[in-house]
Amino acid sequence: MPGRAWIYAVFLLSGFAALLYQIVWQRALYAIYGINIESVTMVVTAFMLGLGIGSVVGGVVSKDPKRPVLLMFALVELGIGLFGAISLGVFHAVGNATLGMSALATFFVTFLLVLVPTLLMGSTLPLLVAHLVRSNGNVGKSVGTLYFVNTLGSAFASAAAVLFVLGRAGQTGSVRVAAVLNVTVSLLAYVAHRRSQRPAEIAATLSAAVPAETAEVE
Amino acid sequence: MSFTVALVVAGVSGFIALSYEILWYRVIAFASWGLPGAFGLLLAAYLLGIAIGSRVAGAFCKDDATAGDKNQLRAIAAFALVANVVAWSVVPFFGWSSKKYDWPPALALVALSAALLGAILPLVSHFGIAADDRAGQRLSYVYLANIVGSAAGSLITGFVFLDVWPLHTIGLVISLVGLGLVALIAALAGFERARLVRWLSSVAVAAGVLVALTPRAYDRIWEKLLYKSKFEETTKFYEVIETKSGVITVTQDGTVYGGGAYDGRFNTSIRWDRNGIMRAYGIGALHPAPKKILMIGLASGSWAKVISHLPGLEHLTIVEINPGYTKLVANHDEVKGILVDPKVDVVIDDGRRWLHRHAPDDGARFDVIVMNTTWHWRAHITNLLSTEFMQLARAHLAPGGIFYFNTTSSEDVQRTAATAFPHAMRVYNFMAVSDAPLVFDKMRWAATLASFTIDGEPAIDRTTEEGRKFFDELVAYADGIHEEPTSEGLESRERILARTHAARVVTDDNMVPEWREVLRFQEPP
Repeated sequence: MPGRAWIYAVFLLSGFAALLYQIVWQRALYAIYGINIESVTMVVTAFMLGLGIGSVVGGVVSKDPKRPVLLMFALVELGIGLFGAISLGVFHAVGNATLGMSALATFFVTFLLVLVPTLLMGSTLPLLVAHLVRSNGNVGKSVGTLYFVNTLGSAFASAAAVLFVLGRAGQTGSVRVAAVLNVTVSLLAYVAHRRSQRPAEIAATLSAAVPAETAEVE
Repeated sequence: MSFTVALVVAGVSGFIALSYEILWYRVIAFASWGLPGAFGLLLAAYLLGIAIGSRVAGAFCKDDATAGDKNQLRAIAAFALVANVVAWSVVPFFGWSSKKYDWPPALALVALSAALLGAILPLVSHFGIAADDRAGQRLSYVYLANIVGSAAGSLITGFVFLDVWPLHTIGLVISLVGLGLVALIAALAGFERARLVRWLSSVAVAAGVLVALTPRAYDRIWEKLLYKSKFEETTKFYEVIETKSGVITVTQDGTVYGGGAYDGRFNTSIRWDRNGIMRAYGIGALHPAPKKILMIGLASGSWAKVISHLPGLEHLTIVEINPGYTKLVANHDEVKGILVDPKVDVVIDDGRRWLHRHAPDDGARFDVIVMNTTWHWRAHITNLLSTEFMQLARAHLAPGGIFYFNTTSSEDVQRTAATAFPHAMRVYNFMAVSDAPLVFDKMRWAATLASFTIDGEPAIDRTTEEGRKFFDELVAYADGIHEEPTSEGLESRERILARTHAARVVTDDNMVPEWREVLRFQEPP
């Protein structure tokens, strides 16, 4: 089983990347749909709905104790990174094609635009909570600590974005930084998954070997 | 603590936390003049607080405390009570902090409040969710409830409360909702009757204290945030307009501040120019016959009033993002005429979006597009100053049309304009750019000034010696293009490009003007 510190570090980076995306994507969407309060509310609400639905999906997926939640988390992070890498191009293409739409239609388009990445982002907390609760049996500690490291990562990202990243890297560069982080997180989570599988594999190998030896003795 | 109660508490606490965040966002926007770095640091402080709060809350979660344990509700009720009172005090603290040290120290209280509010989610998760294989799934529902509550806060507080109530009322209402949550948790905590009465009485007393203290604690909060160290007991705005789109304040001397940033003064007189209104009159020197003009931004209405009286003008379209400015203009006799002028249309929309949505071939071509743009370093101003926006404006210019806008003396913006268009000229801190040759024509300038009347009154009274002298001096401004450029004079495209060689061209992507200097602190008026 990988150390919890490993999981926490991974989730901190995940939170960092997520907030970087959020800042850049919101700016890109405001440039397309406007910075008036209606557009801002639409974009923020679309983000929240995506995160909420993603949370439920992650919760449903994590329900089955046989499911490898760490592997799923790794795949989710990879998906976020891949989407992130092409996100600005997608936003601009879709935004330019849908500018004349009504407010309601614009909301649905915005919602669909951010649905995939936010759904993936929202699913990460329940997946990792399920993973930790399986090992420590404490929901409050698991939620509290994971929420802590993830939000801490987002807090760092928010400060870093305004102090360093946005001014130096611009929107495209910032999104690339986030995408690289997601891929890194995915790899680290996959390593953690493999390490958590190893004791089970050894146990399986032993249990397969022991009956054969026993049979030979008999 | 039942799972249902956990969902309700998570939802309401999400509503409260996000509602407070919206209030704090509005307050820091005003105190910092809309500095993008301030928003980022507010969010960082808020998230840091939530992170710390959830960590501390996690430490409180003992392994032997089981889901459904009503005793834990009492702890959460006490926690929520303290969290609400502290969160309520953040806005008044911003006011106090602004006078002493500007806005940064208040971020510490934002972090503390967020920590207290943020601790609620892990606590209700621990006491409302059994530690079994379904923990992840149940957590997702609690998390969803929190997000739904947050989204409701965004919609209700951001969209409704901000439009109908002033800041102090909203601060009080959110705190009372929070105390209502405390009362609900206490009612469900399984107290014996006498203890429950004591609890509910305490909540009622806390509510009474907040109701009594709010008018004093939030008194002249906008004045405190703007005047900062210069705030005195007698300081008071002439006018405050709060809408969901922003806060507009007017000082006693008629200076307008939009979202805390200088936004012009009420004045249409070129003779007694205290707001650089000469630059609006200058359109008559730049364009031979402007008939159709688009103006992005209304502000005090002074520019609109002058432009609507340009000789030969047939139609002026004004796109303003904040409907509060139409209320402001309606309250001031000097400018309110533009709201009923048949030549003038005021549209409430985002300027860039409006241009995107109105195709040039559908009649949206203009002889002049004018923007008295706000400060080049304010949040999201890139949307109006980037190369991409200039191309958008260019597509909406009629043949020979001019895009004329305030650069607030940003070299990056001036270089961007001079690079995007083949013809460019600086007029004071404005750039005039076009695809056709540009000239600040002395003859046209003199003719414009001579014939300009506002509501029947000549702009310059040339029947007096003083008036004639002023007229001659003003006409001579056009000669500045042949002289060494000054910051207030005219400058050719070639000179601009040479002077700004170290500046960067602004794009939507690089957002240069917003991030060139992350933290700025303005001198109070």
